[in-house]
Amino acid sequence: MELQVQLLMNTLQIGSVYVLFALGLTLIFGVMKIVNFAHGTFFTAAALIVSSVMIWGVDTAGIPIWFSYLIAFVLALLVVCVIGFVVYFFGFQHVLKDLNGSFILSIGLLLLLNGTYLLLYGGVPRSIPAVVPGNVTFLGASLTIQRLLLMIVAAIITIGLYLLVHRTKLGLSLRAVAEDQEAAMLQGIPYRRVALYGFLIGATLAACAGALMATVTPVTTVIGDDFLVKAFIIIIIGGLGSVLGAILGGLLIALIESFGGYYFDPSTATLAMFVLVIVLLIVRPQGILGHAER
Amino acid sequence: MLKDNLGLTLCILIALASIGFALFSGDPYYVQVVIWVFTNAVLAVTLRFVLLIGELNIATAAFFGIGAYTTAVASTIMDWTFFASLLAAPVIAGIISALFGWITLRTKGPYFLLISFAFTEIVRLFYTKTEALGGNSGMIGMFPPMALNDYFPAIAVTILAAILFGLYAAERSNLGRVFKAIQNNEDIPRSVGLNVIGLKILCFVIASATVGLAGGVHAYTNSVIAPADFTYFVAVLALAYVKIGGEGHIAGPIIGATILTLAGQFLHSFGPYENIFYGAIIIGALLLVPGGIVGLGARFKTGKFMGRAER
Repeated sequence: MELQVQLLMNTLQIGSVYVLFALGLTLIFGVMKIVNFAHGTFFTAAALIVSSVMIWGVDTAGIPIWFSYLIAFVLALLVVCVIGFVVYFFGFQHVLKDLNGSFILSIGLLLLLNGTYLLLYGGVPRSIPAVVPGNVTFLGASLTIQRLLLMIVAAIITIGLYLLVHRTKLGLSLRAVAEDQEAAMLQGIPYRRVALYGFLIGATLAACAGALMATVTPVTTVIGDDFLVKAFIIIIIGGLGSVLGAILGGLLIALIESFGGYYFDPSTATLAMFVLVIVLLIVRPQGILGHAER
Repeated sequence: MLKDNLGLTLCILIALASIGFALFSGDPYYVQVVIWVFTNAVLAVTLRFVLLIGELNIATAAFFGIGAYTTAVASTIMDWTFFASLLAAPVIAGIISALFGWITLRTKGPYFLLISFAFTEIVRLFYTKTEALGGNSGMIGMFPPMALNDYFPAIAVTILAAILFGLYAAERSNLGRVFKAIQNNEDIPRSVGLNVIGLKILCFVIASATVGLAGGVHAYTNSVIAPADFTYFVAVLALAYVKIGGEGHIAGPIIGATILTLAGQFLHSFGPYENIFYGAIIIGALLLVPGGIVGLGARFKTGKFMGRAER
């Protein structure tokens, strides 16, 4: 029982980061009809900024640890928004709805940005000090408070995004554009501006995931790439462009990874995910909640 | 027509010259570079072959690897003869791609792109976890037989050049036209009674089997293969060759592969700047020269040099 609770806790913790990451990817796909292979670079940028700022803030400037994390978090989101705006303005807005073109552009960006990070940051992994020390015990399973907070913050952000997409006017235009871009434009929705907002929200979600992940794992310049393959599997399972699908898919993949990784081994778990995708494609090619044309 | 034949004649001459160079040049390094250029050209051309039906196939990299591993297993573990082990590569790659295509080609566009990406990474994971295939360090010891050793580079170039001409012929045939028709609007070929899914699978299998053969040649050329040689990045570079050369004509990917492979020989000394340079070249080519080098030539000929070309 303790073991299962522990594994379930792991699932929620990995899953919450997967959900944030996949949500951004699926949102960008929904609005712009592009697959952003450079999505991991937003994640990485945020994680790198958090670790750099925290190490500087705590060791050199002597700022309290929680406050320097707060600064680092906000700074990371701002920088990623700027990066997102630049790559959208000079790149992605020229390849809207062009699957092959945007794929190539995002791969180019992936190489360019990852190369730049490596130059600026170096290849050595760095860990940041614990923001909130201590442990809690829940049904016999032990969990650091830090990881608990990570889950809570991720859940809040996810709920916030869900409300944004389903309850606000911006969300309505995002969904309208995702549904049918031309019909949305006929209703007077400024497509290009909505696409920009969708892209920036997606980038910010990846940045949140990166900034949160930096607190529990050593940061390297390729940290975001590991998430990319799994995020792709998640959005295929959930259905491209579906917010709820990304949430369910993220938790499902985390469940397989956590339990499969314990009872078998991590690579068996990854293979199991792939088999799941294959089976799903045979049964329901548009994903659990997707409604793409076949 | 005459002009086209002129181009084809030129290509045949270049291929013959390359074979001659591989046969008589004393410098193993330059011979190796020639084989790399041809291998990369095959990768780019097979990637473009699936683009004919409108799908971006990252699994090109996976089937290149499957071919290489098949040949390696046949040669080092099962002790098959040189040509038998080479022939096993396209057969196995073809069978696996038929199964994979049968399942996945029902999906289109982004779904196919992502699933082929995931397939590539998972096949690579499978190599690293399989002890019989050497795990992370891969397989060694694929050597052509002693009697053929001196002629091997020439044989490799001949096979690879034959693949390029074969795919050119396939594209020009009626089958190639049907593939393009599927890309334009698959409902029209379906409306005249063609089995569109079957044709898509056929296109995919042709491309995968040929790239598998190139993988087999790669195994013998390198004598060492490792899982890290077959990441999705292989397909990304192939795509860069296609984009820079231009996807409008089969010559595009070949030109792109030649230029970038030769440039890559200098870039290896750049260290961390290498990826930055590749990234910048890909972005620059996409945004500034959308039709690639071939597209530039075509625009120059039609006098529409200014303005954006169709992508």
